[in-house]
Amino acid sequence: MKNILLFILVLFSITNIHSQSNVNPDISLIGSFSAFTNNVEETPEYGKLNFEIPSMELYIDGYLNPYSRATANIAYEEGEFGVEELYAQILRGLPLNMQIKAGKYLVGFGKLNTIHPHAWQFIERSLFHQIFFGEEGLNDIGVNFSFILPTESFYSNLDLGIYKGDAIAKTEVLDPEDANSYLDLRGNSPIFVGRLSSFFDLDDYTNLEVGLSSSYGIHAKMNFNTFGDSSAEPENKSLKYFYGGLDFKLKYKPDSYTSLTVQGEGLINNRQVFRQGNVGLNIPIERVEKINTLGGFIFIDYSFSKQFYVGAKYDFTYGIIGDEPSFTSLSNDDRNKTQGISGWFGYYPIEETLAFRLGVQNIYFKYDDGTSQDSETKVTLQMLFSLGPHKAHPF
Amino acid sequence: MKKIFLSALILLFGTLALAEVKVVTTTTIIYDLVKEIGKEKIKVDYICRGDQDPHFLEILPSNMLKLRNADLVFKIGLGLEMWLQQIIDGSRNDKLKLIDLSKDIEKKEIPTGKIDASQGDIHPFGNPHYWLNPENAKIMAKSIYDALSDESPENAKYFKKNLDDYITKLDSKIVEWKTKMSGLKGKPIITFHKSWVYFSDRFGIKIAGQVEPKPGIPPTPSHNAELISNIKKSNIKIILMENYYSDNAPNQLSQSTGVKVIKVANAVYGQSGINSYIQMMDVIVNSLSNNL
Repeated sequence: MKNILLFILVLFSITNIHSQSNVNPDISLIGSFSAFTNNVEETPEYGKLNFEIPSMELYIDGYLNPYSRATANIAYEEGEFGVEELYAQILRGLPLNMQIKAGKYLVGFGKLNTIHPHAWQFIERSLFHQIFFGEEGLNDIGVNFSFILPTESFYSNLDLGIYKGDAIAKTEVLDPEDANSYLDLRGNSPIFVGRLSSFFDLDDYTNLEVGLSSSYGIHAKMNFNTFGDSSAEPENKSLKYFYGGLDFKLKYKPDSYTSLTVQGEGLINNRQVFRQGNVGLNIPIERVEKINTLGGFIFIDYSFSKQFYVGAKYDFTYGIIGDEPSFTSLSNDDRNKTQGISGWFGYYPIEETLAFRLGVQNIYFKYDDGTSQDSETKVTLQMLFSLGPHKAHPF
Repeated sequence: MKKIFLSALILLFGTLALAEVKVVTTTTIIYDLVKEIGKEKIKVDYICRGDQDPHFLEILPSNMLKLRNADLVFKIGLGLEMWLQQIIDGSRNDKLKLIDLSKDIEKKEIPTGKIDASQGDIHPFGNPHYWLNPENAKIMAKSIYDALSDESPENAKYFKKNLDDYITKLDSKIVEWKTKMSGLKGKPIITFHKSWVYFSDRFGIKIAGQVEPKPGIPPTPSHNAELISNIKKSNIKIILMENYYSDNAPNQLSQSTGVKVIKVANAVYGQSGINSYIQMMDVIVNSLSNNL
């Protein structure tokens, strides 16, 4: 807590290091409080009303000078403070009308990943995000270069970024005794993320955005005993991955009170993984195998009377939600699958200052070896509030 | 060779002389005024459609594209277009000049004391709906003329003539609107949102309340009950509202009291038949005066 307060003080002072300014940044706070129940008999939450620790996001955001601005998002989740985002952007004045964003932030792979969970229509994170990006989404440290392409009749944007890559490795094997053990697996291996998006005004009331994303890099480095000989020197190999993504958002908004949104994303995962084969000389042979898996979601959301919205989502992904990270699970799993169906109802009594959301999600599992696992249903009731200035929503 | 060089020079300077000022406006009201003054010497587009609530706009990348190559962007100001800065940032246009048309307007309803969200969607710098007073449209037109002349001094005379012509036209319409509205002078009406104060002050109408309990706050049953009592007590005949708001609550009040609901656009292209500021004012004035 003390560190966080110190951090806020430092952040305020940064804006005044080289200049005298009497302008304060915007400060806003999003609070969230949830209660849930589930039908999973082996869990202590089964059939009970369970209250989660309230969470919050504190945003501090403002211009540093006429050309750039900075944003900090300090989150309090599950009883702990953390820096969710901290970045600066150069917005104008650069060659080719480029924008640069540097720091720690939600990376623009697909459309949903850059949006904070409180602004989603639904409550639970998409299943394929959990498998391929981890519980917090693709949130990484790096730098992004953004260009508007010279398409005159419609808007097109190209983002090219380089990142530390920790978020990609978070789904790898973790030592329960050492929360950062996954970092050792990658070493210093940056990843690359790019997105090409186009936006179209189909008519006065209908807009469409489509995007293509990709990410490439090393997700793990490890030693392989390729001969199955315990006395042989292991060979260190880098395991590469490629994510390709497709996303779209179609929105029809005939008036201020009604809108219909259909949105979807998909990801293909092509990666090298660690696999064990037959016993060689005295231990199993370790080899690199290439797998191809995928995941995605599609949802429909209908907003009516300005204050209400209702929607449904279908999720599909390779990998089993809730699995412990390992070299054969989550993003390294090419055998088992999870599917989910969600529904939600939201009520915003007064604009977006307060929201009540009811969400139901049913997820079910399909194991390649025939293992059976009951489907899981979770019902969540959530209250959100927004204190302070809030910006207009991007499309 | 000499002839070719001369032709190239004529072509170059001819092109420069024809260079248009590229303008984007936040609302269609400003769009119409800019068109009247700039005419063919400018190229103008707008962001918020006439049938949209200008308080709340989604950030569309297509609007960033409009601003990308613009020279000037005009806004109403006073906190109406909270979304504009995000669109400007997205456009990456570092040469864009932002013109706030509220600078010479006499502002009304500037809140005093501590301002917070308990007062609803309050505008800390004053009520921004000043274009509904046609005298303010003249001030806006003058500010637009100043900005266009600064940007394109070689066309200043042309802009001045257009400004003078428009003000003359507006002045004669103001006389007509005043005459038509004289029957409503001193009479109370109810409005949906607190957006008609400049209009009511100009034409001497008394605003007896709003359907919204506080600015931006949806109607509530208890507030409706208060309004019903007020409508009956003060013999209020008209509820005036913008056509982008839901008329559910006003219609309930109408059913209970017989009060007439007048739903009009407060922007150009906000409804069919409104293709200019003058047409918009005609529709508003005629709707009120015909329902006396």
